Amino acid sequence: MTVAVRSVLFFTACLLLLGICQGEEWYRWRGPNLDGRTVQANWSGRFRGDQANIKWRASVGTGFSSFVATDELVFTSGHIDGQTIVNALSRESGDVAWKFAFEAPLDDRDFEGGPTSTPTIDGPFIYVVSRLGELFCLDRLTGQLSWKVNVANQADVRLPGWGCAGAPLVVGNLVIINIGESGVALNKDDGRIVWRSEDRESGYATPVPLKSDEKDAVVIASGKSYKAVTLESGEELWSIRWLTSFNCNAADPIIHDGQMFLSSGYNRGAALYQLGGTDPKVVWKSKEMKNQIHASVLLDESLFGIDGDMEAGARFRCLDWGTGEVLWSEEELRPGGFTLVDDAILLLTEDGDLVTAPATRQGWTPTSRVHVLDGKCWTAPVFSNGQIFCRTIQGEVVCVEVTQ
Amino acid sequence: MHLKRRSFLTGTTAAAALTAAPAIHAASKDKQYRVALIGSGWWGMNILREAISAGNTKVVALCDVDQDRLEINAEEVNDLSGDSPNVYGDFRELFDKESVDIAIIATPDHWHALQTIAAINAGAHVFIEKPTGHTIGESQAMLDVSQRSDRIVQVGLHRRIGPHHVSAMRFLKDGGAGDIGMVRMFVHSKGGEERPTRNDEPPENLDWEMYCGPAPLRPYCRRIHPGGFRNFLDFANGTLGDWGVHWLDQVLWWADQEMPKSVHSVGGRPIAGEAVLNDREQTTDAPDHQIATYQFENFSAHWEHRRFAGKGPEQSSVGCYFLGTKGTVHIGWRDGWTFYPSDEKKPTIHEDAQLQEPDGHNIRLLWADFIGAIESGRRPIADISVGHQATTLSLLGMLSMKLGRSVRWDSEKQTIPGDTEAQALMRRDYRGDWTYPG
Repeated sequence: MTVAVRSVLFFTACLLLLGICQGEEWYRWRGPNLDGRTVQANWSGRFRGDQANIKWRASVGTGFSSFVATDELVFTSGHIDGQTIVNALSRESGDVAWKFAFEAPLDDRDFEGGPTSTPTIDGPFIYVVSRLGELFCLDRLTGQLSWKVNVANQADVRLPGWGCAGAPLVVGNLVIINIGESGVALNKDDGRIVWRSEDRESGYATPVPLKSDEKDAVVIASGKSYKAVTLESGEELWSIRWLTSFNCNAADPIIHDGQMFLSSGYNRGAALYQLGGTDPKVVWKSKEMKNQIHASVLLDESLFGIDGDMEAGARFRCLDWGTGEVLWSEEELRPGGFTLVDDAILLLTEDGDLVTAPATRQGWTPTSRVHVLDGKCWTAPVFSNGQIFCRTIQGEVVCVEVTQ
Repeated sequence: MHLKRRSFLTGTTAAAALTAAPAIHAASKDKQYRVALIGSGWWGMNILREAISAGNTKVVALCDVDQDRLEINAEEVNDLSGDSPNVYGDFRELFDKESVDIAIIATPDHWHALQTIAAINAGAHVFIEKPTGHTIGESQAMLDVSQRSDRIVQVGLHRRIGPHHVSAMRFLKDGGAGDIGMVRMFVHSKGGEERPTRNDEPPENLDWEMYCGPAPLRPYCRRIHPGGFRNFLDFANGTLGDWGVHWLDQVLWWADQEMPKSVHSVGGRPIAGEAVLNDREQTTDAPDHQIATYQFENFSAHWEHRRFAGKGPEQSSVGCYFLGTKGTVHIGWRDGWTFYPSDEKKPTIHEDAQLQEPDGHNIRLLWADFIGAIESGRRPIADISVGHQATTLSLLGMLSMKLGRSVRWDSEKQTIPGDTEAQALMRRDYRGDWTYPG
């Protein structure tokens, strides 16, 4: 065994250890388990008093990008003066550890504009997708560009109407992004395209892995359907026709116990499918949960989610997984985004209040509420190691520390 | 043939009425009216859902220029009723192939006249969304054709039958607000400068040529479809041609259908900015604010809308004030109606709205009235003649704003007397092979 090979192995072993340490970190969109929930948070699930313990504030530029974190840094992106800025901020102070900027139009047609995708951390790298379909691989510690690929051009697929919005999904040695009819997979080390899909409009959700007895696959939100394609070659296993008014499938599918939950806004609604066999079968359909931009979160057999049009005023609801029955609905909350912390709902209102409530089937019974941000909030808050990260669309960020 | 069919329908409906209010699926065996929906968008589906839940329909056909809309809505119809409607991209083909008892028409305004007339000629009763026409001449042609037939035409003016409107109108007509000297109608919202939206190739699921139909073929832009046509004057008439028709109708209802003698309107786009239409991009072109005054014999009515500044100091952003000697009645939307006495020592009187959510309407009642009219042969509550009057008032406002001067109205002769320039704006040229009605 040569010295070179030995050091590579040693380095890999370190990375694996690092990976284990980061297991509890929120290193990707919807968290380590891709379910929108932090576990073993060691937090009471309520704020003490009516003032939040604000650790720091920062400003990152316009956008909807959520946060990912390591034990040292927290990352998000925003738009400033014709550029998208990927920001790495110190968790301790909020100071900028590094910034990586690339040219990008604000593209504020129909909404405030700016980046809509959340970065993904994988080992020493962080992957960032632009709305124009470029994929950047950056060094996590320095922000130095490792490589970049214009995936839309390389794979020769069109951009969806509002640009790419799903986070990159790293599985094995692939990084998969939602562009084209059913995604494009690249080698995560060098950005080489491994497989591509047809030149049709994509949706806006993040790819979700699908384990099965036969071939490992990933479920992709397309413009007019949700499709399962194999990890190996991108070959389609099945497709569920799923139309909305604007080809706007933005909520990640939720796969649980051999079943899959889909939901979209724009008068689509929701459905639960039984997976297995060749084609998924409908278990139930409902118009009572229309996830316009935020995916729901499942806890045990309860689905928590934001129903309806965000601009018109959406509702926060709880549905029974097995039947689709609405267990409760909170009409006046104006939810902007939410996450689960153990068995507590942590919800950020559109007006910048953080509200907590037990995640139960019995009803919405808030236990604490603190005001943390001024401005319009449509990005889900992130809980990681006793810190909560929230942002406004205009890019004001707050780090709230909670007592463990 | 029509008479025969109607008597048949009446008989079976009477039988159906004896059964208890059915669950949606349980109703299938009692279906009678063969219903087609033309314009299968958000509002058309709101109407169709009420038709289905009334329990005496069979949905035989959906028509839309957007194939995705057809597919998604056919699926919903099947989920709701078990019916499997045939789908069409062209209403002419639909009426050729289907036997339709009731046509629901909820397309953009520029299609209303041709489709309503085609439906009546095919022997269908019509539930047409307001406004009746995109130009006054179209509305007149629809009225003429319907009056020469025995078909019922109900216009979607659900505020004619909504419980809080009915009770507010009773309060007014009983003299609750005293003698009314003026009425003020208003719709206010937030907004600012409008930036152009890029033109695109029409989506492959959309027949853009047919969408434009008799209107000019402008470049496709996502801002227009789906759901944005109201602020493009090729297809609609802005806020006055939308909300305005509802509130003008409330005034006409109160005034026992008396029409004004003259109309004057101003408006523009000082906040939204000049309208843009070129090969690359476009904005809407409807006014961002508009004021229209209607001079009636014994009172005046005033319309005001703006798409900026919010509701301001007012308590409501939408509705109409009837201002009288005893005080002011506000008839609103979700806020019901309220009477503010001129004597401040007296208490206000209020009644809540009773609406169907999520979209806050009373289509269910209007549909029931429509079916009642079909079965009895009486005029429906929002008959085409009623809808035509309210639509005409809104279009006279648009016409005056475009001319930049007031216009008189001769309701007897249905014309703008002695003003050929204004008369010319009562109609429009149609594109291609489409023939202007009447």
